[in-house]
Amino acid sequence: MSLCFVGLALIAASAACAALLRTRLVLAERAYGLLVSAGCVAAAIPAFRVLAGGSAAVVRLSIPAPSGPWVFGLDFLSAAFLLVILGPGLASALYGVRALGSAQDRRGVATARALFAVELVALVLVVLARAVVPFLVAWEVMAVLAYFLVTFDNERTEVRRAGWVYLVATHAGTLALIALFTSWAGVGGGLTFDALAARAGSLPAGGALVLCLALFGFGLKAGLVPLHFWLPDAHGSAPSHVSALMSGVVIKMGIYGLIRVVSLLGAPPAWWGWLVLVSGVVSGVLGVLWALAQHDLKRLLAYHSVENIGIILIGLGTGALGAAYGVPLVAVLGFAGAVLHTVNHALFKSLLFLGAGATVHATGTRIMDRLGGLGRRMPLTWVSFLIGSVAIVGLPPLNGFVSEWVVYLGLLHGGTSGGSIRLVLFGVAGLAIIGGLALACFAKVCGIVFLGVPRSDAALHGHEVSAGMLGPMFGLAGVCVFIGLAPGLAVGPALVVGASIARVSLPSSVGDVLAGIVRLGIWSLVLVMLLALGAVAWGAIRRRRSIARAETWGCGYALPSARMQYTASSFAAPLLAAYGPLAGVHETLDRGGGAFHTHASELVLERAILPAWAAVRGVLGRLRPLQQGRLWVYLLYVIATLLLLLLYLARGVSP
Amino acid sequence: MSLLVLLVLAPALPGVAAKTKAVLTGRRGAPVMQLYWDLFRLVRKGAVYSTTTTWMFRVAPVAGLVTPLLALGLLPLDGRRAPFGFTGDFVAFAALLALGRFTLVLAALDTGSSFEGMGASRDATFASLVEPALFLSFVVLALATGQLSLEGMLGGAQALPWGAAAPALTMVAVSLFFVLLTEASRVPVDDPATHLELTMIHEVTVLDYSGPDLALLLYGAALRMALFAALPVSVLASRAHLPVAAALGVLVAGLVTVAVAVGVVESSMARLRLSRVPQFLVAASVLASLGAILQLLT
Repeated sequence: MSLCFVGLALIAASAACAALLRTRLVLAERAYGLLVSAGCVAAAIPAFRVLAGGSAAVVRLSIPAPSGPWVFGLDFLSAAFLLVILGPGLASALYGVRALGSAQDRRGVATARALFAVELVALVLVVLARAVVPFLVAWEVMAVLAYFLVTFDNERTEVRRAGWVYLVATHAGTLALIALFTSWAGVGGGLTFDALAARAGSLPAGGALVLCLALFGFGLKAGLVPLHFWLPDAHGSAPSHVSALMSGVVIKMGIYGLIRVVSLLGAPPAWWGWLVLVSGVVSGVLGVLWALAQHDLKRLLAYHSVENIGIILIGLGTGALGAAYGVPLVAVLGFAGAVLHTVNHALFKSLLFLGAGATVHATGTRIMDRLGGLGRRMPLTWVSFLIGSVAIVGLPPLNGFVSEWVVYLGLLHGGTSGGSIRLVLFGVAGLAIIGGLALACFAKVCGIVFLGVPRSDAALHGHEVSAGMLGPMFGLAGVCVFIGLAPGLAVGPALVVGASIARVSLPSSVGDVLAGIVRLGIWSLVLVMLLALGAVAWGAIRRRRSIARAETWGCGYALPSARMQYTASSFAAPLLAAYGPLAGVHETLDRGGGAFHTHASELVLERAILPAWAAVRGVLGRLRPLQQGRLWVYLLYVIATLLLLLLYLARGVSP
Repeated sequence: MSLLVLLVLAPALPGVAAKTKAVLTGRRGAPVMQLYWDLFRLVRKGAVYSTTTTWMFRVAPVAGLVTPLLALGLLPLDGRRAPFGFTGDFVAFAALLALGRFTLVLAALDTGSSFEGMGASRDATFASLVEPALFLSFVVLALATGQLSLEGMLGGAQALPWGAAAPALTMVAVSLFFVLLTEASRVPVDDPATHLELTMIHEVTVLDYSGPDLALLLYGAALRMALFAALPVSVLASRAHLPVAAALGVLVAGLVTVAVAVGVVESSMARLRLSRVPQFLVAASVLASLGAILQLLT
C-alpha cells in the first residue's frame, strides 16, 4: 500500500519534470518516461501482491482532514482496477511521449504531458479512496483534467464542441454522485465508506434511490446507452494516446463506481439487476451497430467502447441477479466476468486506439474510405492492430474470448438454476448478436484500412511509425496474448475478486469452472500450434507447385483501379439495412451530380438531447423579462423576497 | 476413430446433396464422389496469386481447415465422449468457427476486388444474423440436459430427455438445420450452383483462390457442412446406448439424410432475395428462442 503512494509520488514527479524542464527537450522526455514507468511499476506491485496472495489485504491510511478522515485502502476490487489503470496508462503515456514529440507547440506539449501524469494519479486515487470526500475530489480532478487532455487540439471547432459536451455530461454525472452520497450518508453520518456500508441496511426501499443515482451518475461516465452521447465525439477528437486512456481506463471508473456501490450496499434488489442486464444488452447491441455505421476510424472505436461497456454490464447484471436471488455461483461468475472483461477491454481498446493513432500519424486521415493497403506499408502496426481486433471480437485464442466465456458461463448457470433468475438466459442471445456484429465491424476495419489497395495518396505514402510508438502497442498486445493462452492465471484471481464483490466465499462448484478454464487454455495452445504447423506445412507444399503472380481477377475487366474496391460503407450496408432505422444512417443521393453520401448520426444527441435542450431554452426564455439589468429592479426583488420570508416565518410562530 | 471416418466422408456430403438435386430435377448429375476428384486434381495444380494479396490471403485456407477440425474435436461423434470437451466448450465451438470466417472475410478483402468485397460483406452479414440461433439452440440443450459442455448436451451418459422436452428439441433441430443451410452456403441463403459473381456469396468470397489453396478451402467447407449437419443429427438421434460401431453408423446415415434434405430444399425452392435472407435467419433465432421459452415453462 505504501508502495502505491511511492509510485504516485514518482508519477507526480514526472509531471513536474515535464512541466519544468521545458527548455531541455530530450532530457525532459527521458526523465518523464523513466519516472512514469517506475511509478506505474511501483504502484502495480502491491496490486499484484493482493491478487496473488488471495487474502483481502485492506490496508488503511487515514489522513485527518475536515469533512472526516480521508481513508485510503487497497482490496481485491481496487487491486483489479489499479491494474486496469496502470497497464494501459503506462503504455499510453509512453506512446504519448513519441506521438507528441513532433508537435510544434512545445509549451502545449509539456503541459499535455504533465496533465496526463496528473490524470494517472487522480485515477489511482479514485480507486484507492475509502471515504466520500477524497473520492469525489479525485473524481472531479480526473474529469476536469480529461477535459483539458481531450481539447489539446483546441484550434479545431469540433474538438471544442466535443470538449464542451463532455464537460456538461461529466458534471451532470458528478451532480448525481453528490446527491447519491449525501442521500446515503444522511445528516451527521460518517463519510467513510465503512460508515456508508453500516448504514446500508437502514436505507429506504432497499437503497432504490442510491442505486438509481449510481446507475445514472456512474453510467454517464461509463457511457451506457442512452447516456453515451458525449463519448464518441470526445474519444474521437482527442489525441490518440488520450483516446486510449479515456476509452480504456477513464470510462472504467464508472464501472468501478457501480461495483463499489454494490459491494458496499450488499445484494441489490432483483429489479436493479434486471435493469443493469437489459441496459447492458441495449448498450452492447446499439453500440456495435452504431460503430458499424461510422466512417471515422476513431469514432468507430469509441462506439465499440459503448458496446464493451454493454458486455461488462451484462456480467455485472448477472452478478447482481445472482446475489439478489441467492445463487452464489452465478453472482461470482457474473462479477468475475465483468471485472475480467473490464481488464481485457482496457488492454485491447487502448491497443486499438494506439494503432489507430499510428495510422492517423502515418496518413493524416481518420476516414476509412481514404485508407487501404496499410498492411504492406505498416506491417508491425497491422499485426498489433489485428491482435487487438481478434481480441475485441472475442475470438480464441485471445483474452476477449476468455472474459466472454466467463460471462456466458454465468448466464447459463443462472439459466439452469431454479426460479425467475432463469430468464437471464436471454442475455445469451444478446451476447451472441453483439459478437456477430462485432465480427462484421472489425472485418470491415481491418479489411478496409489495412488490406486491399490504397484508396488515396495519403494511404499510398503511409509509413511505419517509430519504435517508441510500436513498443507500447506490442506490450499491450503481448498481455492480450498471454491472458488468452494462460487464461487460468487471469480467471482465478477474477473469481476471487467476484466473490469479494458478492461478499461470499468461493462456492465449491467453482472447481468445475476452473477445470474448464485449464482445458480451455490447453485448447487455445493447441489451436495456435495447429495454425502455426498448418501454415508451415502448407507453405512447404506450396513451394513445390508452380506459382504465378497476376492482377486480382476482375471478371474479365482489364483495368481495375483502387476506386473500384469495396468501401467501408458498402461493406456495412447490408447489415445496417437489416437493422433499419435503429442504425441511424441517413442516405442522400444527388442524381444530378451523381453523388451518394451516407451519414451516421448520433441518434441520442441529435434526436433527443439537443431538441430537449432547445425546448428547455425556449421555456426559460420566457423568464427573460425578469432580468432588466437595472439596479432598482433587483433591489425590489430582494425586498420582496425578504417580505415573503418574514410572512412565512410570522405564520409559523403565530399561535 | 469416428473423427477419422468423418474426415474421410465429409467431401461426399456436398456430392449427395448435388446428386439429390439432379435426380429430383430429372438430370443424371455429377457422381457423388466428384469432390474427391476435384480435390485430388486441385492439390496437384499450381496456384495464381494476385499481386495485391499479402500473408493474410495465404493463411486463411489453413485457418479454414484447422478451425472446423478443432471444432469437430469438441463434438461427441460416437454419441458418448468428445475427444476434447470441457465446461462451456459450446462458446469455444461457436467462436472457433467465427475465427475461421473472420480470416476468410479478411482474405477476401485482401484481394482488393469489389466482387470479393461483396461476398465478404454478405458472408459477414449472414453469419452475424445466424449467430444468436446457434447460441439459443445450445441454451435449449443446456436447459434440457442441465449440462454446459457439448459432450453433455449431445451425448454423454444420459440421453436427451425426449418426452417433455420433445417440442423444444424439435424446434432446436429445425433451427440448427437453418443454421446449417446458412453456414454451408446453401439455398435459400446462398446458391452454390450460381455462375454470376453478383449473386454468389461464398463462391465469390473465394474467387481468387486456385490450386492447392482452393482444395484446402473446399475441403474445409465440406468439413464445416459435416460439422453443422452433425448437430441436428445428434439432437434427433441419441446414440449413447448403441455400440460404438452402430452409433457411428447412425451418425453417418443421419449425415446422409441431412445432405439429402439439403438437396430436396435446393430443388424445391429458389434462393431468397438478398433483402429477404435476414428474415429467414431471424426466423431461425425466433424458433430457437421459442424452444427456450417452452423449455423454461416445463
